[in-house]
Amino acid sequence: MVGLSKRFPGVQALSDISVDFLPGEIHAICGENGAGKSTLGKVLAGLYSPEQGHVALDDKPVRFSSPREAQAAGISIVHQELLFAENLTVADNLLLGEIPNQFGWVSDRQMHETALRWLQKVGSDIDPSMEVSKLSVSKQQLVQIAGGIGRGAKVLIFDEPTSSLTATEATALLGLIRELAARGTTCLYVSHRLDEIFAIADRVTVLRDGAWVGTKPIAEVTPSSLVQMMVGRELLASSEGGGAFGAPVLEVRGLSSVGRFGDISLTVRAGEIVGLAGLVGAGRTEVCEAIFGVDRRATGSVSVAGKSLALGSPQRSIAAGVALVPEDRKRHGLVLGMTIRHNGSMAVLPRLSTLGWLNRTAESRTVREFTDRLRVKAPSIESVVGGLSGGNQQKVVLAKWLATDAAVLLIDEPTRGVDVGAKVEIHGLIREAAASGKAVLLVSSDMPELRALCDRVIVLREGVQVAELGRAASETEILSAMAGV
Amino acid sequence: MQQVGLLAVILLLSLVLVRFSGTHVDRETGQTVSNFFNPGSLVQILTETSFFAIMAVGMTLVIVSGGIDLSIGSVYALAGVGMALTMRAAGWDSPWAALALCIGFGLLAGVLNGTMVATLGVHPFIVTLGTMWVFRGVAFVVSKAESVLVPGPVTDFAKNPLFLGKGLTPVPAIVMGLFILGGALYLNRTTMGRRVLAVGGNADAARYAGLPIPYILAGVYVIAGLGAGIAAFLGAAYFGSASSADANGYELYVIASAVVGGVSLNGGRGTVTGAFLGALLIVLIRTGIRLLRLDQNYEWIIIGAAIIIAVVLDRLGARLLEKRMVNG
Repeated sequence: MVGLSKRFPGVQALSDISVDFLPGEIHAICGENGAGKSTLGKVLAGLYSPEQGHVALDDKPVRFSSPREAQAAGISIVHQELLFAENLTVADNLLLGEIPNQFGWVSDRQMHETALRWLQKVGSDIDPSMEVSKLSVSKQQLVQIAGGIGRGAKVLIFDEPTSSLTATEATALLGLIRELAARGTTCLYVSHRLDEIFAIADRVTVLRDGAWVGTKPIAEVTPSSLVQMMVGRELLASSEGGGAFGAPVLEVRGLSSVGRFGDISLTVRAGEIVGLAGLVGAGRTEVCEAIFGVDRRATGSVSVAGKSLALGSPQRSIAAGVALVPEDRKRHGLVLGMTIRHNGSMAVLPRLSTLGWLNRTAESRTVREFTDRLRVKAPSIESVVGGLSGGNQQKVVLAKWLATDAAVLLIDEPTRGVDVGAKVEIHGLIREAAASGKAVLLVSSDMPELRALCDRVIVLREGVQVAELGRAASETEILSAMAGV
Repeated sequence: MQQVGLLAVILLLSLVLVRFSGTHVDRETGQTVSNFFNPGSLVQILTETSFFAIMAVGMTLVIVSGGIDLSIGSVYALAGVGMALTMRAAGWDSPWAALALCIGFGLLAGVLNGTMVATLGVHPFIVTLGTMWVFRGVAFVVSKAESVLVPGPVTDFAKNPLFLGKGLTPVPAIVMGLFILGGALYLNRTTMGRRVLAVGGNADAARYAGLPIPYILAGVYVIAGLGAGIAAFLGAAYFGSASSADANGYELYVIASAVVGGVSLNGGRGTVTGAFLGALLIVLIRTGIRLLRLDQNYEWIIIGAAIIIAVVLDRLGARLLEKRMVNG
């Protein structure tokens, strides 16, 4: 693989990457969230095509325009999100696209036998006539691997394969990968879990911001040197700390939600910004959703400004003074087909109306006040939010919640998919909100963002609170706590 | 924009009808008048429209919220029959009592639909498909499948010429006008209307904004029931009787009116006035077929084609909007 580049609109996802993968090796590809590691896997597997550079397999240049072509050439991917026709059987899914048939009649027997043979190759006893939707995630993963091996894959790409597995399942999977590698299959292991990388990889390639940082035999790196390579940038000095905070506003004690996270306790004082760090799937978003009341199964005690809050209803949480700026603004934050005015006033409609009759002057005034303060760039507040840029959409969501004048702001990934200029502005707004006495709980995967904004950082790992770090904590310390090394 | 297009189509069709529907001699004045453009025909068209359009207001709200109400025609039948039987049993003849009874039965049915949709987690299509048969079945059983006469004063009320000449009946059209106005104000100017639009546009975002989703959903079915009750009062009063077979298949005309009027079946988008124009267009097409002496057998084919064309235009509009979003 030489000089590989991939651009997405507005983002250079990969630039000029060259790596050799050897037969039978387990090669880990790691980097921070957004470093381009998954993109690299997808380019190799034919899901994306590169703008520049080429891929060679056994010294022959290859070019795939679809995952099927890649599979035929011997490269298969085991996905982060499993892609199945869930209502069909295991055999159907394994052989979809090349269903054995006689003159168009499906040969069920032949299909069953082929599927069985493939599954046996990965040491699985899954019944090929089971419906895929009835299998556990780990079993579904095995089916994907069987599909690759059965087609004679020389290269198998595992994209964060353990992110939704239990510990035992993950160990079994790592064992299988070792076995496959011993039989000569090249295994690419895309992950940011350092413990797994050190457990199985022969060599490791580190990517950062879409660029190649280094490829080293695992024996030559230590967990901390690997983190150093992943983080790379000069570790920023944290911004000057305020230190003068008010009384505790948000108090969370023993918050749990089965299968998501357990026993979270934290306090955010007026004027304080507390960061919530963790890998994808560590339970950060889930904690915010529980405090806000959209997670109905959450248990534990939450109090706002000393008053205890009954969980399970966003209406109650909003009334108590909690606001959630959600991670997925398109799904949870906005009604894309509505105007800025409609979206901006959505959480404060009762305040803008008399006996249910909406006061449109007051509505426009309120929405305009906040969109002006947040410098939303749009022709007018009558513009449809679906037509705005990501940064401006994010500002509309912020405006909607700042308008509620909530005492507690839960802010989840506020700058994801937002351009640099808007990011700086949003950071300013969050600081301003804290300075005005609000308690802010900030979820972010962006290390510099956490360090620049937060007075404290609480680290979650697999749903458990593992560390609380002060303002002086380095990125390395935070990352190490996140990954558990 | 869509409503401008719809309005243009309605005007065009009206011009065609003025030009080609022929003339007749008015018996009383002795003047030659157009078969279409005369007070009697115009009021007749509005009267016919009113039965659909009043129900289309409620249907619009339901569809904007992301649901559907298939039971609306059955609610009409149930409210009409329930009113006529109660009036007979109690010996009442006040039109106001009849109106109250119809509204009561309509609201009751709406509350039933709304509660089930909001709490059972079953798709509204299924819930109202069920109640469509249940409500009509109840009307069938209690009326023993017979047509029940409505007291004379009630009919007089609905056929009151008011300030217009003899033989003209503007009451249904006036009630329709008021109900449309109310519906439009509700959707655009009240917090509940805004919430209906938000839930239909993105139910997840509405939940994350703390909107009381079950109440919002139940509310639109209650309003649909209210509309069906009022329409049933006008219909039963106007025709002088109520039967369990009334308004059979009206739910589809009503849904068609809303859809032709630009209401998006995906929810979140639509106007009450659009639904009124949709209903008016459908009635105009039916009247036109009669006046132009076209083969009446083609009525369904023409209406069916008109609905598909309207929905295709709706899709095109949505796609243009999407494009604008991407480019913007």
